[in-house]
Formats: sequence, C-alpha cells, structure tokens
Amino acid sequence: MWTKSSPEAAANMLFTTPEFCLFLAAVLALFYALPEPARKYLLLAASLYFYIAWIPRYVVILLLLITIDYLAALWIESRQGPPRRAALVVSLCANLGLLGYFKYANFARETFLSLFHPAAHFEPLAIILPLGISFHTFQSMSYVIDVYRKKQPAIRNYIDYALFVSFFPQLVAGPIVRAEEFFADYFHWRPPTAAEWQQGVSMMLTGYIKKLVFADQFSLVSDRYFANPAALPGLFPAWTASLAFGLQIFFDFSGYTDIAIGVALLFGFHFPENFRRPYLSATITEFWHRWHITLSHWLRDYVYISLGGNRKGAWRTRLNLMLTMLLGGLWHGASWNFVIWGGYHGLLLSVERIVWGRNERTGIARLPLAILTFLLVTIGWVFFRAKTLTAALYVIAQMFTGETQNHSLLSPWQWLLAIVSLTIALAEEHRHWLTRLARAPFWIRTTAAVAALLVIELFTATDLSIPFVYFQF
Amino acid sequence: MSGAARGALWTLVALAAFFAADSLLFRTTWYARHLSPDSSAGALEYQLQWLQRAPASTAPEVLVIGDSRIAEGFSAPTADAAIHRRLHFWNFGTGGTTPRVWYYTLRAADPTRRRFAAIVIALDKYPDRDWFAEFEDRKTDQSYLVMQLGLGDCLNFASSMTAMTSRLHSLFACVFRGVALRPDVQDFLANPEARLEHAADSLHNGLRYIDDYAGKPESLRGLTADWPSRTLHFPADVAEPIRANVTQFVLPEEVPNTGAMARYRQRWLGGILDLYKDSPTKIIFVQLPRGPLVNPQTPNGPGFVDSASKLPRVTVLPADTFTDLERPELFADGLHLNREGRPIFSQRLAQNVDEILAGGSR
Repeated sequence: MWTKSSPEAAANMLFTTPEFCLFLAAVLALFYALPEPARKYLLLAASLYFYIAWIPRYVVILLLLITIDYLAALWIESRQGPPRRAALVVSLCANLGLLGYFKYANFARETFLSLFHPAAHFEPLAIILPLGISFHTFQSMSYVIDVYRKKQPAIRNYIDYALFVSFFPQLVAGPIVRAEEFFADYFHWRPPTAAEWQQGVSMMLTGYIKKLVFADQFSLVSDRYFANPAALPGLFPAWTASLAFGLQIFFDFSGYTDIAIGVALLFGFHFPENFRRPYLSATITEFWHRWHITLSHWLRDYVYISLGGNRKGAWRTRLNLMLTMLLGGLWHGASWNFVIWGGYHGLLLSVERIVWGRNERTGIARLPLAILTFLLVTIGWVFFRAKTLTAALYVIAQMFTGETQNHSLLSPWQWLLAIVSLTIALAEEHRHWLTRLARAPFWIRTTAAVAALLVIELFTATDLSIPFVYFQF
Repeated sequence: MSGAARGALWTLVALAAFFAADSLLFRTTWYARHLSPDSSAGALEYQLQWLQRAPASTAPEVLVIGDSRIAEGFSAPTADAAIHRRLHFWNFGTGGTTPRVWYYTLRAADPTRRRFAAIVIALDKYPDRDWFAEFEDRKTDQSYLVMQLGLGDCLNFASSMTAMTSRLHSLFACVFRGVALRPDVQDFLANPEARLEHAADSLHNGLRYIDDYAGKPESLRGLTADWPSRTLHFPADVAEPIRANVTQFVLPEEVPNTGAMARYRQRWLGGILDLYKDSPTKIIFVQLPRGPLVNPQTPNGPGFVDSASKLPRVTVLPADTFTDLERPELFADGLHLNREGRPIFSQRLAQNVDEILAGGSR
C-alpha cells in the first residue's frame, strides 16, 4: 500500500482518546442547549472541526466534493436529457478522480512501470490519503446517483447536504449512510427516547470494549507476525496469526461502527447496522450479508445491479459477482493483495452458487459449514493483511505445508478472549441480550454499564493509541 | 423531563457509579498494600509504607531524595555508619523520578513537615539546562504518583503538563485511578497468589533488601575520552548496551535550551521549598557526580539553586563537592555509581550533611 494515513492523524480525535470524549460531551451539551434551528449549524461546525483536527488542509477537498455533488444533484433534478447525464458524469469524475489520485496514483504508476519499464526504479509520490475519503465519496456518489435515478430528491439547502456528508460519527470510517436514511431522521428529527439514549451508550461501550480490549489484544499477535512472517515459520504460527488478524479486524471495524452508531443515536440519528456477527455465517454469501453491510449494499446497488445483476444468465451473474468483489477489494486498498482478496471472495461466492444454489442451512447443519466458512474467510485475511503478495503466498504456504513444531502465537488469555467473544456472539445471535439490555431495569443496566467501564479501564490491551484499521481505507 | 434528558441523567449516574467502583478498588488502602513492588507506583508506595512503619528513630532523620542515581549510588546504612549514627538516613531514590514526583512524595512522606532534620535533594547538575525533550509531559510521572494524587490534586497535576493530550490523559488517570494502574492490575490477575506473596515479602523485608544491596558490580575503569573528536575509548570488557548508555550521557546531543527545565525546576523544586517554608527542616541541594567522565567544556549557567541558596534553611553544597568522584572506575555506566563508588559517595554525603546540621541547631 503506497498511500497511507497521516501519522499525525493517528493521535488526534480517535474515538478512543480523551479528546474525543471531551469533544463529544461538549457538542452534546451544546446541541441540546441550543434552539432546534441552530443545531444543524453546530453539528456542521463540530463535524468540520473533527475533520480539521486530523489534517486541516484536507477539509478543502471535503468541502470541494460537497459543493460539486450538491450542485450536480440540483442540476440533475432541474434538467432533462443529456445535461442530467453530464452533471452525473462530472460528479462521478470528481469523486472518483480525487479518490483515484489520492488512493491509486502510486499503485497505477508502480503497476505501469513494472509492466513497461521493469528495470526502472519506482519512487512513490508522497501522497497522504485524506481521512475517510473512501467512505464519504461513496456516500456522496450514492446520493447523486439516487437523485439521477429519481429515487431521492435533491437537497436544496447546502448546510443540510454538507452535514449529511460530513456528520462526524460516520465521516471517517462509515457506516456508509444513504441520503434517504439520513434525511428521514434529519427532516423529521425528534430527540432520542430514554431507551434510545441508553442503547446509544450501550453501543458505544460495546464498541470501546471491542476495540480496546479485543481488537488491540489480537493486533499484538497479528502485527508481530505479519511484520516478518519468515521470522516465525510453521503451520501453527501462520494459522493463529491469521486467526488473530481476522478477530482483530472484526473487533476493530465493528467496534468503530458500534461507537459511530451509538454516538449518532445520542443526537437522534439512526444509522444502519454494519455488522451482524459475520463469523457465525454458514456461507460466504451470508458472510457478506453480515460483514460491512453498508458497503455490501452499496456495491450491490451501484455496481452489481448496474452491471446487470442476476438478470442476464448464470455466467453473467458470476462475472458480475466477480467484478463487484474485485472492485470491493480494490476499494479497500491500492495493492494487488486487495484485488486478490476481492477476487478470492468473488470466486467463493460464484462456486457457492454453483455448488449449493441459494439453499439456506439451518440448525446443526450450519455448524460444519460455519466452521468451513470461517476458515475460508481466515485464509482470505492473509491477502488483506500481508504487506506484499510474496509475504501472503508465504503465509498461505505455511498454513498448509508448514512445519508443526512451532506453537500457537495466541496466549491462553487471547484464546480465552476468542472463546468469550464466540460465546457472546452466539448468545446475541439467539437471545439479543445486548440489545435488550438497554431496556432492562435501571439497576441491571447501570450495573452493566459500570462493569463495561471497568472492563475498558482495566483490560485495555495496550497504552499505545492504535488507530482503527479501516482508517487507512 | 425529555427522553434525552433522562438518558443523559442515567449516563451521569452510571459514570458516578463507575467512579465509586474505581474508588472502592483503588482509593482504599488494600490495593496500595498489594501493588507490584516492581511497578513504578509500587516502588514509591512501598518506600512510603516502610517509612510509616519504621519505629521512631532516636537520631534525627534525613531523607535523601533523587532518581536512580541515588537509588544506586547511595546507601543509607553506610551513611549512618560513617557518622556513627548521629543521623539516620532514608534512601528515597527511585529510578526515573523527577522533581514533580519528589514534590508529591515528600508531601506524603512528611505530612507534618516536622519529621526530618533535613531533606537532601540530589540533582544531576545545578545549571537549569534542558537535556531531554518533553520533560514536562512525562506520562511515567503519573505511574509513580497514582496512589498519591488525590482528587484535589488532579487539576494542578494535569495542568503541569504542556500538551493538551497529556493534560487530558493525566486528568482521566487521576480521577479514575484504574487507568494508570491497568498494567499492575493485569499483572495481579495473571497470578494473584504470587502477587500477594511478593507484596507481603516486600512490605516486611523490602527495606532490608535495599539496605543489603551493595551496588552494581560493573566498572568503567580504563574508559577515556578524546573530547575534540567526541570519541570514547572503552575497555574491552564493557558490554555494548553499556557503551551505548555511556555514549548517550557522556557525549550528549545538544538540546536547544528553551528554558523548559528552568520553569520546571522553579515549579517543582520551588514547590518543595514552599512545602517546607514554615518548617524547621533544612533543605540541602547536592550536585551528584555527573558521570564517569565529564567534558571540561560542559556549559555552566544559572540554576534554580542560585536563588534557592539565598533562602533561610536552604543549603546548596558547592557544585564541586563530588567532582572528584567523576571517575570511570567508580561508575557502572553513564549515570550510576558502582559498588566501589557507592560507599564513598554515601560516606561523603553523610559527612557533609552532618557538618551542615551540626553547624545549625540539629
């Protein structure tokens, strides 16, 4: 990956910093203190401040894209025929052009050089990826396309639209919120009920535990291993490090979105679910219905269906699936590893359709399939995490042909965390007790909140501030 | 009351309950008595407990406070013996501590400001020259002081940091002690039985272990320097990590003098003098042997001690009091006196303090 998040970005305004807690408390207090008409100005100012706290100069790019998409949507709505299409093209070019430059310029140059000038030395351009650009460009594009498809009216007020794109809980790593979802809350805003508020706080606490206690714990293993896989050869290190990364990225990303959804709920906004216990999936198809759901839906609605979806025959459906997943892989990062990761999932989805069709498995029949799916996903994470394709292939080789004398890299404590997380996932899948907790009697939810805070306080994995994995995308 | 207001109220109640739970765990005496003796907080806490549990001394007591240079280079029993136990010394040298930590340590060690005949404050050097960055924002200071910072101290302590991030972290960790004690708690839970045993042993025998400690066995005998070319010549048997340490401290990189050290010392050494302003206790400043070799071109400059020396009951020992100990054979590395240097320094310091106190009204 040649593009990277700014190192300075790692320190400021992470959801896990005291700065963010202070910022959130101040914005919440002001939000409810101000008269309703003033609140959107406060939220926009707070969101821009939140973004500026990372890398101030990149707020210009954010505002430029907001302005272009805002005007393009108005133009599209007010015109017929070719001018509509032209405005759509301008908007898409602006979004994809900036995303392409910041995220893929070095990747394209490197690929070009390796193909046509293999002897040339590749010197990457010093490009720092604007934080959250992959997310807010997708959010903006979905809005403009929906206006073009006449599924969404253009937003007349610039402040309203700017807030939709820049609203700070989802600005840097999603979930990718659709305009219709956001504006349904925005134009019919009502304060959260006590139960919604409590659910928001519960989600935030769950997110913090996922990130600080689980994700950062597993990152200690995966970061050590993937820094130099050859230093820890063998079958067990390869499998346990890949397992650690699979757990890390799940807890990291779903933790982030839990916090984002919880924060939004405190302001009266209902963000869509982004993860639904994906590692309990019995098929890869089901996995993608449970993993990064808002991205999956985005790719389905704006790529897969645009390519023809499943309307043009079995082989074309498989091709569309493969193309969609390749693009999904490339969205995650500018390297061949991500393309292969996307292609791997596209291939699995296609094979699955051939072998099983769309039959759903229930009951105990899910267990072996869930284990198989989990193992297949874990193998895929190797391409996602390894620094280079060579390293990924080395790890894959170790997973299947490595020596067995080296031991697991996971400590007993980390195994315990993995088992605890599986137990909680199963309980939540069947009982929804985390969801129900917000509506439990006062003393139960207060005790649960105190217990969660103590867990965060005492079992955070490291004093280091580890940025969220998806910030690099 | 609206739903959001009720929700916010519940959040505040939950936070208050969390604070109560944290306080119950970490603001009562139980956890303080079971800290890891090897942790920063433990190192300081056990010293204080040994002091509190010690039987009353018939001789006037002297507390020597400093960093690892005192922990390694000073022996209280040797000092006591050197002056025929006319005084009783306490070694409050703790590796990695700084004047901010010393301020709160002394406040806890001597709540009446009447216990000690003298407090000896050991400085690495008198001039207030900056020698490493981020002195004021050191997070480790909080690790030492976590059990000593009361709620009333939190704002003052946090505001003594300069970066906003450090201030907020300090404030959080001061209010919710578990944040700062996290590594210690995790270590405790990993093996509670061993911790309880270790803590009990340290409480009962730790002071004896320190008194019996002879010092580091290593020696830099044979170390020479070519100052113009900034080159050190090490004896063959000096290990690589020690060479790196010696090079770092004997040939330090120049750090721009921003005045940060002067401000820092003014605040915290000045704070110690303020603590004792109405006390009969003498405050004695000592410049430690600076290293195995000292560049003759080392810049001097004004220091906090210049103005402090004018105050009543404050004595600043001449800067050259121990410069004759700045010899490679008396040092184990770039900072610390070794087994050979430790008794010499301890005896000499005791004699100096004894003379000062004898000259006054002991």
